[in-house]
Amino acid sequence: MRLERWWTTLRLRLRTLLRRGQMQHELDDEMQFHLDHLIDDGLARGLSPTEARAAALRTMGGLTQRKEEARDMWGLTWLTDLADDLRFALRSLSRARALTVFVVLALALGIGMTAASFSMLDALVFRPYPVPDPGKVVTLVSTSRDHAFEQFSYREFLDLQQSARSYDGLVASGTVFGVGYSPDSRTSPSVKGGMLVSGDYFRVLGVEPHLGRSFRAEEDRVPDRDAVVVLAHAFWQRELAGDPDVVGRHLRINGRDFTVIGVAPQTFPGMFIFSRSDFYLPLAMGRLFEATAERDLLEDRDARVLTVRGRLRDGVTLAEARHEVAGIASAFERSHPVLNRGRGASVHTQLAMRTQADDVNWKFGAIFTVLGLCTLLVACTNVAGLLLSRARARTREIAVRLALGAGRGRLVRFLLAESLILAGAGGAAGVVLGYAAIQALRRFSIPADLPVTVPFQMDVRVLLACVVLAVTSAVLCGLAPALQSTRADVTVGLRSADVDPPGRRGMWGRNALVVSQVALSLALLTASFLMARSFQQSVEQSSGLRTDHLLMARLDPRLLQYDTARTQRFYTQLTERLRQVPGVVGTALTQNPPLGLDTFDRIEFVPEGYDMPRDRESLSAPSDAIDDGYFDTFGVTIARGRAFTAHDDSASTRVAIVSEFMAEHYWPEGEAVGRILRLGGRDGTPVEIVGVSQTISYSSSLEKPADFIYLPLAQKPTARMVMMVRSTGDPLQMVGAVRAAVHAIEPDLPILEIRSYEELVRYSNTEGPAVAIRMVGTMGLVGVLLAIAGLYGLVAYNVARRTREIGIRMAIGATHADVMRLVLGNGLTLVAIGTGLGLLLGFALERMIDSMLFGTSGVDLVSYAIVVPLMLAASVLAAYLPARRALRIEPTVALRCE
Amino acid sequence: MLPSVTDMSKPTDLVQGTLDLLILKLLAIQPLHGWAISRRLRAVSGEVLQVSEGSLYPALHKLEQEGWIRAEWKLTENNRRAKFYELTRAGRRQLQTQAASWDLLSSAITAVIRLSES
Repeated sequence: MRLERWWTTLRLRLRTLLRRGQMQHELDDEMQFHLDHLIDDGLARGLSPTEARAAALRTMGGLTQRKEEARDMWGLTWLTDLADDLRFALRSLSRARALTVFVVLALALGIGMTAASFSMLDALVFRPYPVPDPGKVVTLVSTSRDHAFEQFSYREFLDLQQSARSYDGLVASGTVFGVGYSPDSRTSPSVKGGMLVSGDYFRVLGVEPHLGRSFRAEEDRVPDRDAVVVLAHAFWQRELAGDPDVVGRHLRINGRDFTVIGVAPQTFPGMFIFSRSDFYLPLAMGRLFEATAERDLLEDRDARVLTVRGRLRDGVTLAEARHEVAGIASAFERSHPVLNRGRGASVHTQLAMRTQADDVNWKFGAIFTVLGLCTLLVACTNVAGLLLSRARARTREIAVRLALGAGRGRLVRFLLAESLILAGAGGAAGVVLGYAAIQALRRFSIPADLPVTVPFQMDVRVLLACVVLAVTSAVLCGLAPALQSTRADVTVGLRSADVDPPGRRGMWGRNALVVSQVALSLALLTASFLMARSFQQSVEQSSGLRTDHLLMARLDPRLLQYDTARTQRFYTQLTERLRQVPGVVGTALTQNPPLGLDTFDRIEFVPEGYDMPRDRESLSAPSDAIDDGYFDTFGVTIARGRAFTAHDDSASTRVAIVSEFMAEHYWPEGEAVGRILRLGGRDGTPVEIVGVSQTISYSSSLEKPADFIYLPLAQKPTARMVMMVRSTGDPLQMVGAVRAAVHAIEPDLPILEIRSYEELVRYSNTEGPAVAIRMVGTMGLVGVLLAIAGLYGLVAYNVARRTREIGIRMAIGATHADVMRLVLGNGLTLVAIGTGLGLLLGFALERMIDSMLFGTSGVDLVSYAIVVPLMLAASVLAAYLPARRALRIEPTVALRCE
Repeated sequence: MLPSVTDMSKPTDLVQGTLDLLILKLLAIQPLHGWAISRRLRAVSGEVLQVSEGSLYPALHKLEQEGWIRAEWKLTENNRRAKFYELTRAGRRQLQTQAASWDLLSSAITAVIRLSES
């Protein structure tokens, strides 16, 4: 279509749409003009004015028809019809305000809930990497017998880069928490998060720097040579005030001057969900950020700490890439039989990584989305129920319309328009509600000084989901009532006001709605109770360690370039100083206090005298390097043997303490104390087990009893440690003393994190699940409210519908009890059925939640004992209140009313 | 859109789209209102072609929607307001196309009819 023609027709269409009245008017004029001429013709032929007019009208064959024929040519009839439908629906809804408000609220709750939980699921699972063509970016994983999603070491990465052909580039990255940063050498450092990346990281991912340049390949070749840094956009804005001349500036990172070469774009906040890096550093500078001197990131083939990602070459399938990497892994196994024994490799998509490698997020998000959808379903069934009863109350109106010749399709469309308006309003309100819920979720802040983000947000994807939900619920709510009410028999509908058509076929849909509402909300409420209770239990049973009166301070002398000996000396001095402070009962050093946020180092070991499984070279368990004050300070008892002492130093025999669970695991009959563990493998360093400690919860209060190995700090020197201080009073009063002690030894050393230990435990173990429980609980409550409202509506509707019948019954002698039985019976039967189904659903949900989150089993009777009677009482009340109205019916009045 | 021949009781179907062609052609000569179009068509065709109101106005409105003609309210010689239709440039092109295909069709039909039976 030529532009000119396109323009005229567009203008015309717009006019048709917007100035419909004027168009109609013009059409009238045009027809009138024609008619006038016809009449003139007739007069000219000698007819009387009346005859002429009649003849003209005959010729025209009906003015209105002619107009309609012309109007049909305007196109867009469907649209203008829709506008009519909407206008009419709005009018009829505004006459039923209470219903409208209830429906909109119900839908808003359902949609809002679902939107909030979907935003969670989206952030945790579905949101693609913030890079161009993210679908091509895959993650390479090393697989071992224990774990299918391990990382690669730097050496392995270099070999992979050499031999893999399936990719347009492979990149490696490793997160470094706690990097000491200062804008210059005079300021004392603050703590930031960084990311070590391979030289072509930005190039391969397709990220163009906002300022300056990204790394050159040769900047990642020679260890410790190229001190260059690319800043994250947010960091640049926040810390350097978006300085446009930042490229070329020097920043002090872990005690070394780094030259800024570029700034990453705002669109690239990093590849991880939770952690946002402040800066990107070349892998070759990695030694500066190592946690222990025992390991060399750049040399040790088994320092598997790097995430390797690749951009699949065009035309290469995932299966081909997998095949290739498996081949490379077996080549590794041949060339390094000890380090890579039984080790394979695979390739996964982003989605697979997010759903399989770390499935807690995925399960969490999925559970909530399912629960949100359940709430939405309850809301929809409820709304459908209300619309159904409304539509049935209008049976006569609809019958009249049908009789006058309205098409069934047109009527259905009109009724759908009504639910579309409702869903639109509900959707809009739901978006607002969901936004509020997401804001609440975001407030769930993590008490860390490192950049950790909670990425839930109301973005286009979530909004889109809301729109889909709203439209779907409109159809769900509106279609059934619309179809049913237009099926009504015209003659029956015209005869009686709103009496059921013969047969009670129509009622079962209504009944099914109430049953499913009761069932769903019962299940939801039970689920939230279950979660709350199993969580409560696991917290109560947990730990076996004391969390009160403890202050924790995280320190890392590497930030000042301390070597191992100096680090050790620092910790010894600090311990001595702190133990002399008045009010301090004891101190402990640990890499990571129990129930904290970090993960424990895993060490490989072979227990001597233990019959190793044939296919295993070594076993592994989480471990911690601790000092002699640990067990007293945490109140963990030594079941057998002894605790570490100051004499367990680098000069003496190497020793270890294991958890009771581990002792029984490997030496079920004999005594674990005195046994030897070989660390690292069959020929590794022998350490003697000198004690067995009470098994506590190490990583989370929800975990099962686990193997755990303690090593003395003096025998496993570690730089990054947490100093625990037990005091008689409020632990936070010790903050000043701890700072003073640290700065007396080393004035420039920053304290990475200082807080009360209870706060940390509360956060890491209580708050997350509490948020979850509150969410499920809210959903359950909303569900119950909806179900009760639905039930109330049903009984009220029944009473109103049967007023006349009840009147007759009372007139011929029915008692109040009879009437009550009549109107309540049905409602209560439905409640009973719904409760039964809800219980079954609750059992199923319990299975799912247990297996996904808590790993417990069995039926929690208490939850049911609380929820079921409550639910029953509420629903009986909901049925009883409207039923009472039936008793007030005066037979004489009832009989007179239509 | 089915113009009928004078004998109203037995309308004969004309080839689809013929009315469009006739309207476009009439408007190509001068802008006209609906009534004038029906008169003119009758007169020009020697009273053979008579278009009913039921066909004329839908056809006009359709042509307008297509962008081939445009309408304007003007005064007639008797000083009455009437909706005059005139051809647009796109309409002129459309007329050429349609006329050409009509020529082709009618000569083809004529050729068939004139086939000698002997």
